Amino acid sequence: MKKYNFKKLWSIFFSFLKIGGFTLGGGYAMIPLIKREVCEKQKWLSEEEFLDGLAAAQSSPGPIAVNISIYSGYNAQGIPGMLVAVLGTVLPSFVIIIAIAMLFQEFAEQKVVRKAFSALEPAVVALIAVPLIDMAKKSGINKHNIWFPFIAALLVGLLNVTPVIIILLSIAYTLWETRK
Amino acid sequence: MILLTMFLTFFKIGLFSFGGGYAILAMIRQEVVLINPWLTQQEFMQVVAISQMTPGPIAINAATFVGYHKAGVLGSLVCTLGVVMPSLIVMALITVTYMKLRKLEWFKRIFKRLRLLSVGLIGAALIMILPKAVESTFALGVFIVSFFATWRWKVSPFTLLIFAAIFGAIFGIA
Repeated sequence: MKKYNFKKLWSIFFSFLKIGGFTLGGGYAMIPLIKREVCEKQKWLSEEEFLDGLAAAQSSPGPIAVNISIYSGYNAQGIPGMLVAVLGTVLPSFVIIIAIAMLFQEFAEQKVVRKAFSALEPAVVALIAVPLIDMAKKSGINKHNIWFPFIAALLVGLLNVTPVIIILLSIAYTLWETRK
Repeated sequence: MILLTMFLTFFKIGLFSFGGGYAILAMIRQEVVLINPWLTQQEFMQVVAISQMTPGPIAINAATFVGYHKAGVLGSLVCTLGVVMPSLIVMALITVTYMKLRKLEWFKRIFKRLRLLSVGLIGAALIMILPKAVESTFALGVFIVSFFATWRWKVSPFTLLIFAAIFGAIFGIA
């Protein structure tokens, strides 16, 4: 029976709790903070190991912040480390959203809240439009392959085709293409 | 029964979400607005706005909110567990095998293609919600200013949404 270092597990949990609780703006905003905590402050991973993990986290399904916490936690302290890291990352959102959801049903019908959301909604649409430009640059789009994201956007956005089908077909096609 | 449906729905969302937050939105909307009548279009937009103003990954926030909305704290727990579970399984496997896998040609190609696809999925989310942003002159104005504030002047999402909320509360349409 392996003995686990409970002090270390606690510090893994607490590190990710801090990151989960104080990072606004979703997954990508959390990465620099996770890197600072994991590589520089706690020294659980070297910078190179972290970047490998980040690449894996991006290629794996699920929220990127959750994935990188799984990788960091696992490398710091095996499976228990992985579990406490995920718990730490998820717990703050969970508690905060439940609190908001509880209050929201009462507040949602208030005139001032409805007015606030009339400006929030178009602002959110803008927040989604901007990373589309950055991501299109980073993903290596060119005039030969732009049809693919374009068609996918139309199929999912207009015809409500599920992304599941497109993901599975892409994987199958790539495997077929690289057979041999 | 609804708990099981909710768990499976969010498990599916977790399993097929590549490319981070915004790429997941189109799928979450399909699942919780169109396929299952758990949220209205307006509630969905509210969840997205709230997710941007609160800490944590957007998929977790959406799962927690939808779960609570339909079945209280237990619902939240089930949905969040559902969305995290595929990450736990796949990421644990990848952590162990990634160093070998990433040298393989087919593996590299799959993820190159999925990265391209995630751009398309963000585009899909935009197609779904853009009409909302141009339905009135007021909304269109807020959209254009927000777009340039984020793109050109690098205003953070949180700051932008706080300003939008205050501006809306004073000048918005009820």
